[in-house]
Order: sequence, then structure tokens, then C-alpha cells
Amino acid sequence: MPRSFRLPEPAMLVWVSLIAALLLLIAFPLCKLLLVSLYTRTGVFTFGNYIAAYGRARYVESLVNSLLLATETSLISVVFATPMAWAISRTNMPAKGLVWALVFGAFILPPYLGAIGWILLAGPNAGFVNVVWRWFTGATDPLVNVYTFQGLAFVMAFQSFPLIFIFVKSALDLVSSELEDAANILGAGTWKTMWKVTLPMAFPSIVGGAIIVFLETVALFGTPALIGIPARINTATTQLWQFFESPVRVEVAAAYSIPLLLITLAMVGAQRWFLHRKGFIAQTGKGGERRPIEFGAGRFVLLAWCLAIGLVSVVMPALVLLEASFARAWGRGPSLSNLTIANYRFLIFEHETALSSIWNTLWYSGASATLAAVLALLVAYIISRRLVRFAPVLGFLAMAPFVIPGIVMAIGFYAAFARPPFALYGTAAIIILAFTARFLPIAFASSSAAMSTLHPEMEEAARILGCGRLRTIARITAPLLKKSLMGGWLVVFIVATRELSAAIFLVGPNTRTMAVLLYDLSEAGNFEVVAALGFILLAITMVLVAIGMMAIGRDFMLRRT
Amino acid sequence: MIRLTKRHFLTAAGAYGIAPALAQDQALRDAALKEGELTWYSGQVQAETGEAVGKAFTQRYPGIKVNVVRSTSQVAYQRLSQDMQAGVAQCDIFSSTDYGHYNVLKRDGSLMPYRPKSADGLIAMARDPDPDNMFQILYIGLYLIAYNNQKVAPADAPKSWTDLLDPKWKGQIATGHPGYSGAVGVMGVTLSRMYGWKYFESLEKNKPQIGRSADDPVTLLNAGERTVGMGVSLAAPLLSASRGNPLTIVYPADGTLAVYSPTAIPKNAPHPNAAKLFMEFACGPEYAEVMRKFFIMPLRPEVPPPEGALPFDKIKLIGSTPAQIEDGVPEVKEQWRDTFGV
Repeated sequence: MPRSFRLPEPAMLVWVSLIAALLLLIAFPLCKLLLVSLYTRTGVFTFGNYIAAYGRARYVESLVNSLLLATETSLISVVFATPMAWAISRTNMPAKGLVWALVFGAFILPPYLGAIGWILLAGPNAGFVNVVWRWFTGATDPLVNVYTFQGLAFVMAFQSFPLIFIFVKSALDLVSSELEDAANILGAGTWKTMWKVTLPMAFPSIVGGAIIVFLETVALFGTPALIGIPARINTATTQLWQFFESPVRVEVAAAYSIPLLLITLAMVGAQRWFLHRKGFIAQTGKGGERRPIEFGAGRFVLLAWCLAIGLVSVVMPALVLLEASFARAWGRGPSLSNLTIANYRFLIFEHETALSSIWNTLWYSGASATLAAVLALLVAYIISRRLVRFAPVLGFLAMAPFVIPGIVMAIGFYAAFARPPFALYGTAAIIILAFTARFLPIAFASSSAAMSTLHPEMEEAARILGCGRLRTIARITAPLLKKSLMGGWLVVFIVATRELSAAIFLVGPNTRTMAVLLYDLSEAGNFEVVAALGFILLAITMVLVAIGMMAIGRDFMLRRT
Repeated sequence: MIRLTKRHFLTAAGAYGIAPALAQDQALRDAALKEGELTWYSGQVQAETGEAVGKAFTQRYPGIKVNVVRSTSQVAYQRLSQDMQAGVAQCDIFSSTDYGHYNVLKRDGSLMPYRPKSADGLIAMARDPDPDNMFQILYIGLYLIAYNNQKVAPADAPKSWTDLLDPKWKGQIATGHPGYSGAVGVMGVTLSRMYGWKYFESLEKNKPQIGRSADDPVTLLNAGERTVGMGVSLAAPLLSASRGNPLTIVYPADGTLAVYSPTAIPKNAPHPNAAKLFMEFACGPEYAEVMRKFFIMPLRPEVPPPEGALPFDKIKLIGSTPAQIEDGVPEVKEQWRDTFGV
């Protein structure tokens, strides 16, 4: 091992502290979880918790439901998102800005609100879609029923397809037209080129995105609670909640979640296998031109697809919720006399905690997105450049948090950090750290997907010319990945603003976030105010996204000229 | 000529037993002011109501801030247990709808005894719930039936819990879940004591929609997705109706469910004096006024019931004892899942 015996670079210090940070943020709470699952309350070693966790058909069924649901959601999301990403990135489809806006709308719509919106749209009795359907056809049966397995899977896919879209689109952006030209010259048509050249180049991102959607769906609590319970479908997360009922059986909950972790391991293994089987390097130091594929009438078919997805995932639920947020009383239906701004006025001027929760949400999300982006870039760098021997372990650590349901993660964090010596309970730090750990996989997946398309030759040039490792990252790697990094930052920021399940156990008296407040209000049978708070959250997020996109967009323009 | 000084006055007043009280009040106030804040874990009232209470308290005692930490009762209890395990003292006032919590906390010696003097003025049913003064009753939740009056005519509306078993309500009923809502758990215990578990098995034939909190049905009723809400709190439909939603409440003929909900000071409360002052305030009329504004039954005789609600003496109440609740709720949760599948 000659390399490790060389005089350590300053970079070495960074690697060591990075490893320490990952261990502290992820391994430590995970170990706590594992230990807790193997001992009784009184500290005797046992496998009894596993028997308690899986000893009933109902409990096993819940886990199976979650796995099926997550698989179906991922597949639907891939079908939704891949054509959209391809259309936006590679074709001359019109109205790209609008489609972009719709995808972002779907993404920043908190799952909680989207689910309420679809309950109002597709409730079997009073759902707007069904009312219209009955009115037109005279049918008595509902057209769509949100309270079914399929309904749940579709609502979840509406919420999560943007994740795949973002990954696939950024991968397609890097595929140079020269590759497609080569296929065209050799006689392949547009479609064949897409199938044989373009899509396979984006394959790591499709798989990566699908895995992320799978993991996010498995860990989701809000939507299964809102739609799954009335549909009489138990999922792993609602089952975990049951273990937290009084008397709280953290040890059983821990045991219940360990097999989920093993599934992550398998999925990360699968992703690595896909990535390593073939080469996917698309971006080299030699430039490369990118121009859209010209379509005739086909581009309107693509547009119709994109608009249809946008309509069901964001426009319809948002309109229903918008109406509710301005309604004096939802039950009175749309009419002028029912219009009011009282819900907004109440939140902004009368509610004691609404404003502080908005501020908390913004700065916790910003801080955790920044932390996660930095950590993720460094981990992805170590792994892709194989700087240390146990790099794959770091990758696993960085991916692991996604499969830990937010509730369990919060308990792990609580067990690990609430007590002295850390004594972080009730502070902003514990929430920021939990968000950072929980969303590290998003930042990591986006950095590592980008890293895997970045050839080391440009860094090598800098290194040969005498740059240190850190300087190389700062001057060469990070600028090349700027778009991916900013994209990753935005994604983490947005999901953090709406994160509920990790926050709800960690908030203290002065650290409440908007998602927690939304949850409180949603239980109170008062969703005019819920909708209004949701729209405040949406408006703030949209402003920030617009600022971010302007920054990214300018960069994009510069590169083209 | 005797010069009357404050001291003389106090001595004189002391003869009638007023001064010690006044002096004690002042001492408590000063000590509370020095602490400057208190933290209230509450699973009883909604966030809005809690914030309004905090505001009223700070108005009455400027300089003392109330941090309201609102969650469901089970979560509030879990947080408190975790605090205690971690040796972190955060909570000054603990309010939950689950009597069982207080039995456990009291057994473990985790509560601070305090008898607010203002508790003398509470209505009899809320006064002195615990011989050792470890907790007070500041909230009696009433749970009943509500319906959408645009979809159901008053004459057709259900009048009792047993009416809900009528097949005409098939696909119309919405209710909460005992795994999420303490009150729905008590409803399960109480109705199964009255009618046996077969009541719920018959209810399942009407395919009720199961939500989480006791107030979840209100949302469904407003939307018209379901027409009858079972076991909703008095406050939620009245508040919703006051804003124009088409809701009407029914006090069931076979009894309105009353859930007695205690409030206590943990032994290790970091602001014990502010906590005691808060208990004095909460047993007094100002707190009851705030409750009334949010359609919760005030527990002071001088404060009338909320708009649209009956006074306690006009309502037939049903309920379960703390012991029945502590033993019965876990069983009800299991039976519920067997019968309803979630």
C-alpha cells in the first residue's frame, strides 16, 4: 500500500473528519437501533423482539404491502417521468418552460397536501372527478376511488415521479449529440437511437431514481396514514407507529425495521452492479455538442403526455386546495360569499407559531441541504476516485438513511443525541442533523451519478500541474458539477421543507417546523387553514426555486454560447 | 392616632386569613416571574386553542412566556417519558387525554403534588380528582355524533350510538382510530362495556371509514364524502359549523362520552413556580373563557357553555373509570384491528 505511506496531504484530514461525520450521523444512530433491537428493556440479550415484530401475520402483511406499494409506485413514476425528461432534455417539444413548472409544482407540493387534494378529487362519494363522471354518464359507481391500493400507489407516484425526472434529465443533459449522430449515420432512426443509445446512457439515473422513489415510498408516513388507513391497508410505517403506542416498544420497532435495512443493502448492491456492468462515462474534457432532436407532430404527443401528468399531479390537487384555502367553509362549496382571506390572515397575523415555524423551516432546510451537499460531494468523490479502501462502506452509509422510516430515524437520533454528552434535545441542531442524515442519500445519489459521468482526466491534468487534492476538487470537480450540486441542494432543501416524520419527534418548544404545524392542523378537522398554510409553504418554496433556477439557467446559457 | 401602614393593614387582614394568601400569591408570582417561562406539553387542546391560552396567561402575568408543545396525547407522553429517561427536564405542564398516563407517572413518583387554590371554584365533577393532588382535571372532552345537514335531514339523523348500526348508514359513517386517538380508545372501551364487542362487529357491516384522530370525520363530513361522524369531539364540529360548514351535532340518547383529562406538573419541572402559577390560572375563570371561545366545555360554573352546546346537567354522560381505561384500551386496539383490519 505505497499510497497510504506517503506524507499525508491536508486532504487526509478532511477524509478522516468526513468519515467521522458519517459514522456519527449515520452509523451511530443505526448501531443504537440495532443494539436496542437485540436487548430487552432490562438489558438481557434476546431475539424476542424479532419474534414480537414478525410473529403475527398482520405485521408481516404490512411489510409486504409496503414493498409492493413501493415497487408499483417506482414503476409508475418511471413511466411518468422518463418520457418527460427525454422530451425536455433532448427534443424540440414546445412549452418546455410550462412543463418544467409543472414538474417543480408536483415536486414542491407537500405529499400531505397532495393526498388531501386527491381525497377531495377522487373520494368515491363526493370526489369532484366522480361527481362530474356521474353527472355526464349517469353512472352510480365511482370512476376512480382513491381509497384503494392502486389509488394509493398513483397518489404516491404523483408525488415522487419528479425525483426520477430530475435524475434522468440531468443525465440526458450530459449525453452529447455526437453519440446519437454516430447512431444516425450508421442508419438508426430517431426512435431506435433513443432506445439503443440515449436511454441506455441514462440508465444509471433511471435505476438510481427508481431506487430513491422506492426507498422514499417505503418510508413515507403521511400519505399511507391519510389514504391507507381508510382504505384498510396497513403499511410498514403505520405498523411501526403501532409499536410506538403506549406502552412504547422501541425495541420491537427497531427489530421490525432491521429487515428493511437489509433490503436497502440489496438495492444499493443492485445499483452498483448496474453501474459497473457497463461504462457510462459521457462527459470528458473534450467538449461535445448538444442539440435537440427535431420532431414534427410527435412533439405535440410528447407535450400532451407531459401536460396530462402535470394536470393530475399538480394542477387538479392544487386547484382544489386553493379553493379550500380561500373558503370560509369548505362544505358550502364555491361561491362568492364563501370567499375569504381569513385563513391566511389568521396564520400570518394571529397565529403565534405560524411565522416562527416558517422561519424555522427555511433555515433548517437550508442548513441541512448545504451540509448534505458538501458531505455527499466528498463521499461521491472518494468512492468514484477510489481514494480509500473502504469507500463502498461510505457509499452504503450515505445511502442507508433513506430506508429508515423517518419515525425510526428520529428515535435513533433521539437515543443517540438527546442525552448528554450531546444534549441536543429541543435544539435546532438535532433537527438539522437529522434532516442532513435523512436526505444525504438524495444529495449523494445526485453527486455520485454526476461523478460517474465525469472522467478523471481533467482532475489528473490539474494534479499533474501541481494542484493539491482539495484545490482540485474546489477548482475543477465542483465547478464541473455545479449544476448537479445545485440541483441536489435544491432537491434536499425542498424535501426538507416538507419533512414530517423525522421532525415530529424531534421538535422542541421553539423548533417547530411548518410540516409539524400542518400535521397538527390536519388532525383538527380544519383543512381550510391547512390548505392556506400549505400554500404559504408552496409560495415560499416557489420563490426560492425560481431564484435557484435563474442561477442554474444562467449557467446553462453560458455553456451553450 | 394610629398611622395605618401597609404592614398594619396586612396584619389586620391577616387576622381574617387574607394576608397569608395574598402574600403567598405574591411570592408565587415573583418566583414565577423570575423563571420567566414555562413549557406545556399538551395533547388535550388543538394548537390554536393552546396558543390562545398561552396568550391569555402572558397577558395576565406579563413577563412569563408559555411555550405550547402540541401533539397527540400518546406522542406527548412518549416525549415526556423520553425526557425523563434522558434525564432532561423540559416539561413544566403535562396534559393528556389518557388517564392511564397519570396512573403510571404517579406510581413512579414522577409528579409534583400541588393543589391550586382556584380549584375550589371548579364544578364538582372536575374538583379534586386525586386524593394526593398529583393532578387536576382541566379538560372534560365530550365525544358524540355529528352529521352533514345538507345530506341528512334532522328527522332522519341518528339519535343514539345504536342507531348507527342501522343498515341505512352503510358507507355513510366516519370515525377515528384507537391507535391514534385516546378518545376513540375510551369510546371503544365504553361502548363495548355497554353493548359488548359485537357492537363494533355490527358496525363493521356498515363499512365505516376509519381515520386517525377523533376529529378526522369532520373533514369528511364537510366535503360530503361521508355524512355521519361517530365519536367526534364537541369542539371540532361546532367550530367548523360556526364558520359556515353544514354540520349539526347530536347528543346520543344512550349517552355522550365524557373523557376526563388530567393535567399535572412533573416532579423535575424546570420552572416549578411558573407551572404552579399556570395551574392556578388554568383552574380559574379566564382559562374557562378561552376554552368556551374554542367550543370546549368550561369547567367553571360562572362561565356558560359554548354557543350551540348544552350545559353538563342537561347531558346524559357515559364513560369509563381510569382503571377500566388503563386495562381496556390495549385490548380494544387489538380487537379493533381484528374487526376492521387496520
